[in-house]
Amino acid sequence: MSDLARAVRFQNVHLAIVGLIAAVFIVGVFSSDRFVTVLNIANVQDQLVALALVALAQTVVILSGGIDLSFAGLLGLLSVLFATFAGSDPATFSAAYICILALGTAIGALTGGIVAFSGIHPLIVTLATSTIMAGAALLHTKQPSGSVPLFFEDIVYARFFGFLPWGTLFVIAAYVIVGFVLWRTRFGIRVYAIGDDERAATISGVPVRLTKVLIYALSGFIVALAAIYLVGRFGVGDPRAGIGFDLRSITPVIVGGTLLAGGRGGVLGTFLAVILLALLANVLNFLNVSNFYLWIVEGVIIVVAVSLFVVRARS
Amino acid sequence: MMARLLGGTGTVRGRKTREILLLLAFLILIWGITTVLSPRFLSVKNITDILIQAAPLGFVVIGQMIVIVVRGLDLSVASIMATAAVLSIGVFDNTATAFVAALLLGALVGGVNGYLVSYRRVTPFLATLATMIVLQGIRFAYTKGAPSGSLPDTFRYLATGDVGGVPVILIVLIGVACVAHWMLERSVPGRQLLLYGDNPEAAHMSGLPAKRIVISAYVISGVLAAIAGLFLVGYVGIVDNWTGQGYELDSIAAAVIGGASLRGGKGSVIGALLAALILVSLFNIVVILGLSIEFQMVVKGALILLAAAVYIRRTRD
Repeated sequence: MSDLARAVRFQNVHLAIVGLIAAVFIVGVFSSDRFVTVLNIANVQDQLVALALVALAQTVVILSGGIDLSFAGLLGLLSVLFATFAGSDPATFSAAYICILALGTAIGALTGGIVAFSGIHPLIVTLATSTIMAGAALLHTKQPSGSVPLFFEDIVYARFFGFLPWGTLFVIAAYVIVGFVLWRTRFGIRVYAIGDDERAATISGVPVRLTKVLIYALSGFIVALAAIYLVGRFGVGDPRAGIGFDLRSITPVIVGGTLLAGGRGGVLGTFLAVILLALLANVLNFLNVSNFYLWIVEGVIIVVAVSLFVVRARS
Repeated sequence: MMARLLGGTGTVRGRKTREILLLLAFLILIWGITTVLSPRFLSVKNITDILIQAAPLGFVVIGQMIVIVVRGLDLSVASIMATAAVLSIGVFDNTATAFVAALLLGALVGGVNGYLVSYRRVTPFLATLATMIVLQGIRFAYTKGAPSGSLPDTFRYLATGDVGGVPVILIVLIGVACVAHWMLERSVPGRQLLLYGDNPEAAHMSGLPAKRIVISAYVISGVLAAIAGLFLVGYVGIVDNWTGQGYELDSIAAAVIGGASLRGGKGSVIGALLAALILVSLFNIVVILGLSIEFQMVVKGALILLAAAVYIRRTRD
């Protein structure tokens, strides 16, 4: 298949998601007159920032044929540490900010190192590290605790024109940068190559182990950003902040057309899928459908999406 | 004799025996350390308690291991445990009916998992993730988020009672384990599971009913998870929406520590059960040491990594 054909096919997936987003939006418009309000639109965006970031991290890992289930523990640990050390003035805040990003990256690199050099399945490695980090977070503090400077909360809650939070701009920037890195840099090409066929990549001279370390390090860096955002949004560091984010981060990646086996897909699909899922949750809320049914819908969406992609890939 | 006991060299059975002896040695080491730390540990009652605590995980890990043998993964086991317990006990007053309903639900969900994996070619991870989420939704929609209903005395008895001093739950577990062991090691369907896991293409070409094999593995896992859910609510005494939370990951860890390979074709009932017992015994040490419960998680994670690393090293030799 030519590159062009491949690109067009993936645009079909994107088109389909955009169509679904439009459909959900229309349902939303009819469900309540509070749906298309500045406040609600900003709310939806606030809801999706953290998920968008962890899904972005997961996209890169899955593209390389791996999987990262350590987000629950990592988010919790980084959240409590950040809230503990952020203090109240810009100086301590900046120091904590940089340290948390560095720590997230280092933990990611360590995870990547274990995956790359031990040969243990990433699923087992990341589950184990997640458990360790969740335990460490709870040992540090059982209750949500700590604080962030007021100016940071002001930034997180600030909105341009009333409906555009900083978080959204931040997410878009992150997706554009990672998308650029994946499509236009040597590192990005290596990610796809490893995901497509690891042995072939090795034979072709791709430094597979180094690339894996970098992939998980990038994932850890992005998750650290999500942790900092969550602390800013809730005003405290919660050791349980990450619960559920490990599996929830996978849904948008898969719905967005990235194959779990790796090598196919990209960040645009993930981005659109995050919007779709956030909008769906919001509309179901307006329809007075309990969140419990959202789980059913989400499960069905995964199965339908995956079945469709598998059938397409075979034909 | 000694060489045979230690499993000769190179044969599959020999490697398996060595792995099991290694696990056994590790278990004895843990129990030894615990006894040194707290002399009261080594009593029949305490050991029985640990065995009972480990039993629900034992059921789940046997199923999980069989799924892993066919190159699968079952993330839905914890959700099946809770949903089977909540729905069957909530809907049916009669204990026997509830029991059968729970098993049927487990089989049904396992069937769906197997269908998605074999016919729809959905990655096991995603198929079972999806059923996990759907079941969670159904369960919470049914209970409206609150834990439901009272527990019939019969379930309480099944989980905590005993026959002639031997706990019922252990009798059932040993029965299930014997059947599973015999099936995997000696019966035709069991060998088919292993052959399929070892090489699906070859299995397909040899005319094995590949799809039926995969589906049956998930059905077994679903049914065992349902049984585990009923026993667990019986043991705890409360029907909770989050019954069995964490069992999906613990069971995967135990299956892998017990010698199952995520690449399929390899697994042992005895190894899986020993590994489950090791995990539970380790939690026990943490409690006896007076460390906080959270410390268990750190220990568990480190242990899983260590075990996986040791195991990988050994298979590379």
